[in-house]
Amino acid sequence: MTDFSNALSVAASGMRAQAQRLTHVSENIANADTPGYQRKVTSFEVERGMDAPEGSVRPGPVRLDRSELPLIYEPGHPMADETGHFEGSNVDLVIELADAREAQRSYEANLRIFDQIRQMSSSLNDLLRR
Amino acid sequence: MDIRQTLAAHSYAPSPLTQQPQPADGGDIFTQAVSGFADTLAQGEAQARAAMTTGADPHSLVTALAQTELAVETAVTIRDRVVEAYQEILRMPV
Repeated sequence: MTDFSNALSVAASGMRAQAQRLTHVSENIANADTPGYQRKVTSFEVERGMDAPEGSVRPGPVRLDRSELPLIYEPGHPMADETGHFEGSNVDLVIELADAREAQRSYEANLRIFDQIRQMSSSLNDLLRR
Repeated sequence: MDIRQTLAAHSYAPSPLTQQPQPADGGDIFTQAVSGFADTLAQGEAQARAAMTTGADPHSLVTALAQTELAVETAVTIRDRVVEAYQEILRMPV
């Protein structure tokens, strides 16, 4: 039963990590029009702990995308400089949507694995019941 | 009649059949399994309480509940098998 328990924990850690990634994607999308906002990039790393089973994943430290902020020409904007430009955010909605979709797919994969582990263990119990 | 009963009780008392049975090696393993089962159940309940009251991580709740479900199913299956075997012994013609 320990193998099943570990597999369940690992699958749950994957789901947790993807949920964290989706949080950052939604932050990026919400701040797409915020001047000076740098998009957040989620990284993943292997979790090494006493209570976590081997192979668990956890979201790593959040990094900021250091790419150049686009200059937007809008003279009436309160943050515009003397040339009429201000720095927008470097969030690309297409990239964020693709990232969100990828997070969804990974989450579903982990969910399927979780369900499969449950089915396998209950079939094992059915075998015992006969 | 009365004397006989006393005598019978007296002779039964030191018999090994009336002694408290000593737990064999299997007893320790069984105790460990039962305490592990109780731990899993308690953890599931604690996670459920935390998720309902403090809004803890739902993934932990789902994991804990799935593991509790597994443990309960296994325990129920084993109990059924044990009871079945016991009844089989009871049905034995003597």
